[in-house]
Amino acid sequence: MPEQYKSSTEIQPTPVIAPGHTFGTVTEKISAIVLTRPATNGWFIGFGIAFMATMMMLYAIGYLFLKGTGIWGVTIPVGWGFAIVNFVWWIGIGHAGTLISAILLLLRQSWRNSINRFAEAMTLFAVAAAGIFPAIHVGRPWLAYWLFPYPNTMRVWPQFRSPLMWDVFAVSTYATISALFWFGGLIPDFATLRDRTEKRWIKVIYGMLSFGWRGSARHWHRYETMYLLLAGLATPLVLSVHTVVSFDFAIGIVPGWHTTIFPPYFVAGAIYSGFAMVLMLAIPIRKIYGLEDFITLRHLQNSAKVMLATGLIVAYGYGIEAFMGWYSGDRYDAFTLWNRLHGPYAFWYHSLLACNIFIPQVLWIRKLRSSPLALFLISGVILIGMWLERFIIVVVSLHRDFLTSSWGMYYATRWDYMTYFGTIGMFLMLMFLFLRLLPAISIFEMRTLLPEAEVKE
Amino acid sequence: MASRLGLETKDVVELELDGKKAKGAIWIQAGHPDHSVTITLGYGRTRAGRVGTGQGFDAYAFRTTAHLWTASGLQIRKTGDIYELASTQGMQSMETPNGATRPLVREATLEEYKKNPNFAHEEEPEVPREFTLYPNFLYEEQKYAWGMAIDLNKCVGCNNCILACQSENNIAVVGHEQTLLGRHMHWIRIDVYYEGDRDNPKAYFQPVPCMQCENAPCEVVCPVGATSHTTEGLNDMVYNRCVGTRYCSNNCPYKVRRFNFLLFQDWETLQYKMMRNPDVSVRSRGVMEKCTYCVQRISERRIDTERASVIEGKEIKIGDELQTACQQSCPADAIIFGNVNDPNSAVSKWKAQSRNYSLLGELNTRPRTTYLAEVKNPNPELES
Amino acid sequence: MAKRDPIYGIMAEFDSAQALLEAARKTHQAGYKKLDAYSPFPIEGLAEEIGFHHDAVPLVVLIGGLIGGGTGYLMQYWMAAVDYPLNIGGKPPHSWPAFIVITFEMTILFAGISAFLGMLALNGLPMPYHPVFNVPRFAFASKDRFFLIVFSSDKQYNAVETRRFLEGLEPRTVSEVPS
Repeated sequence: MPEQYKSSTEIQPTPVIAPGHTFGTVTEKISAIVLTRPATNGWFIGFGIAFMATMMMLYAIGYLFLKGTGIWGVTIPVGWGFAIVNFVWWIGIGHAGTLISAILLLLRQSWRNSINRFAEAMTLFAVAAAGIFPAIHVGRPWLAYWLFPYPNTMRVWPQFRSPLMWDVFAVSTYATISALFWFGGLIPDFATLRDRTEKRWIKVIYGMLSFGWRGSARHWHRYETMYLLLAGLATPLVLSVHTVVSFDFAIGIVPGWHTTIFPPYFVAGAIYSGFAMVLMLAIPIRKIYGLEDFITLRHLQNSAKVMLATGLIVAYGYGIEAFMGWYSGDRYDAFTLWNRLHGPYAFWYHSLLACNIFIPQVLWIRKLRSSPLALFLISGVILIGMWLERFIIVVVSLHRDFLTSSWGMYYATRWDYMTYFGTIGMFLMLMFLFLRLLPAISIFEMRTLLPEAEVKE
Repeated sequence: MASRLGLETKDVVELELDGKKAKGAIWIQAGHPDHSVTITLGYGRTRAGRVGTGQGFDAYAFRTTAHLWTASGLQIRKTGDIYELASTQGMQSMETPNGATRPLVREATLEEYKKNPNFAHEEEPEVPREFTLYPNFLYEEQKYAWGMAIDLNKCVGCNNCILACQSENNIAVVGHEQTLLGRHMHWIRIDVYYEGDRDNPKAYFQPVPCMQCENAPCEVVCPVGATSHTTEGLNDMVYNRCVGTRYCSNNCPYKVRRFNFLLFQDWETLQYKMMRNPDVSVRSRGVMEKCTYCVQRISERRIDTERASVIEGKEIKIGDELQTACQQSCPADAIIFGNVNDPNSAVSKWKAQSRNYSLLGELNTRPRTTYLAEVKNPNPELES
Repeated sequence: MAKRDPIYGIMAEFDSAQALLEAARKTHQAGYKKLDAYSPFPIEGLAEEIGFHHDAVPLVVLIGGLIGGGTGYLMQYWMAAVDYPLNIGGKPPHSWPAFIVITFEMTILFAGISAFLGMLALNGLPMPYHPVFNVPRFAFASKDRFFLIVFSSDKQYNAVETRRFLEGLEPRTVSEVPS
């Protein structure tokens, strides 16, 4: 289907779905990717690389379990390093998926309909990647299950005042609700795939996954209720999960951690990095799979605007941190600010400001907001910047705190890098599988965008 | 002298004296006399076990019957190599690079002390006990409340307390490579701070064991409850419950908590069974450890006094005879440990002095280990 | 119910959502009460037209959420203040501000799971076999066609009359659905 939308420099707004589609063509186009389009060499190469990276991650984790966390760069005073930085980075990325699915639904933003499916998949895979780190970074990972409140022969319970315990519940809840939301949204599409495929064994599998969905109006009614309620639940959830993650730091007394700006600042940062990841996925996917009719320039532009807005909130967060470093008169906070600007990690702090604040300001330019290539590159810069932000918060605050005698440095080791890039590989591997096996765009929700879907009373 | 020779700490130099040569890395020591080098004897051993073999260089080469303790005519040549010397301390100054100073070791001259006996509390007033949202736990009503006071006037930085603690508590020696990373396991350390001119500095020594804070920031953040507070005021570390999240260490402002990042203890050498203190667990990999106020000695003494109470038919309490390992070994008697609920105990008397202050007290951690600020009476002729 | 009717119902196929909505309204007004309508996406107002008025999912979610919140809070309270109270940093054993977070998360967790399972349970899913799948055209219900069925169990149902009535609504096809 040729791109029929007008360029954004003209007066008409870019449509949410390219005109000329019917229920049939929408269904065909999306389900064909799963059912009839053969896997290309490109897919195999991409999947292969991602798979190898996942194997590298497993190797690094295996060596970690064998020797201990000492193979990483963590030390005293920097007890948390890449593992926690990566954990927060991945969880943050996941939040955009939930925002698109849940919050944009409640705000009746119909443009969410073509991106919510793979954005939610992105959330699930990001949470999976994130969840690896708390489990492996502890000194005795074979006992990590002690963080769950189960009755045990030791007659002891976890200590609920700890933000790490709050993390356990928040991230578990987030993973569960995201999975339910995603899977629930897939049920009618599984029915579509079931009815479209001719191969018996595929029909059986999709049939089972669809739970026998037949599109009954009564079922749709309860389904819509469930969908809206899940969206309503997921909204405070997504705000609370990254708030709880920010509490890992805000509840601590470390200067540079102990600040009340963290909850909103982290949530905004999460949306920021999440949309950057959504764009970095959406731009190649729409191109390779020919989905530009469904993921139009409007989606890219809107995502860019969300990134610009959340980027400004993040910039405010940096500004207020710096301001408080001076205004509070607290010698430790003042030094923390000075250390970020002039200390041994100053290069990374300045890179952070460039990546997160200065470079993304080009998104004010409409032409760049409408260029998929520019958006792809800027999103990459933002993802790097958000990683650097967590690095600055975790490592640079810890390495110089109250007593000058405890000051030290943190240097990441090759095992830190292998584990991190391995999780990126795992994430991409899961995305590749997702694109092959499941409809990357929500078919039934795309149907509702067509003018024929509107009914008059 | 080092700057004249263009040398920095960690530079490897070649020393030559009367034809004998040796290479070693230098450490520029503040206050060291000019035109001189101090060499430590006892290194460069070839058969000293897993830890001692091959460390440093053998300085006995320079020692002759004619020159047992000093010699002159040493030549120093820069080799251009660098050797990473491992130091357990981050920075040796209370002044931070942005020009501010932190009142970690507090001191005054005798004149200042006489004018203002409360000098140790001026800059950072301590938070009053009543200033809390929660009802305070009534430690005052318990039989014992353990506390420690360290007199900074007396401490000379000899490191005896560190060695005693290491022996008493089966603390592992981690070696050069791990110490470079900051993973040394000392439960008590001596922080050295220099102040003033590098060639004639003031030096301060501050032994830092676990503060056993009443409002311990480490306890709140442990997800499995591996560290909790006893009724007697000890911050207990439960090794077998620790899963090793290291949040407690991050939250400890004093950084007295040490983590077993790898298996630092030697499980193989059989003779260590004779070396180790059987009253103290030997920690394995992945658990946090820290000073316990020698809880094994407290428990042992408690058992003895309870038994004695039964035998003699009257209550016998633990008194000043109970000493922690660091206290016992200190040649200057700088460390005092005891029951702060007993107003007649030595530690209570020390803490009653106006010099007594809490390190980082403004964080409201309420540490049980407090310091007696230094009062110096320098000879005015030496000062100039 | 007596012996099973070999015919489950009569089904009419429509081309558009609007046609289905109007057909459903007319059928319901004609006195047929046991109806169902099938579409590839939710159509606003359709469920009401076939007589569906009471959605129990919100109540299930509410109850689920309350159970979750109560469980979460009581669990923490019992574990921290009753069963094994510890002095953690001088904090009181019943640290209710600290317990809020997990209580909140448990509320959402239970409410969300109740929403999903409640929807499935109330919808009678999973139901892999259903008589409407016996009609080959029904495969298009998940793509771009709209169906209306009158069940044979309806009081007014008559094999001939009902079929004629449905044909009068101008559908694309009319089929008998075997049981």
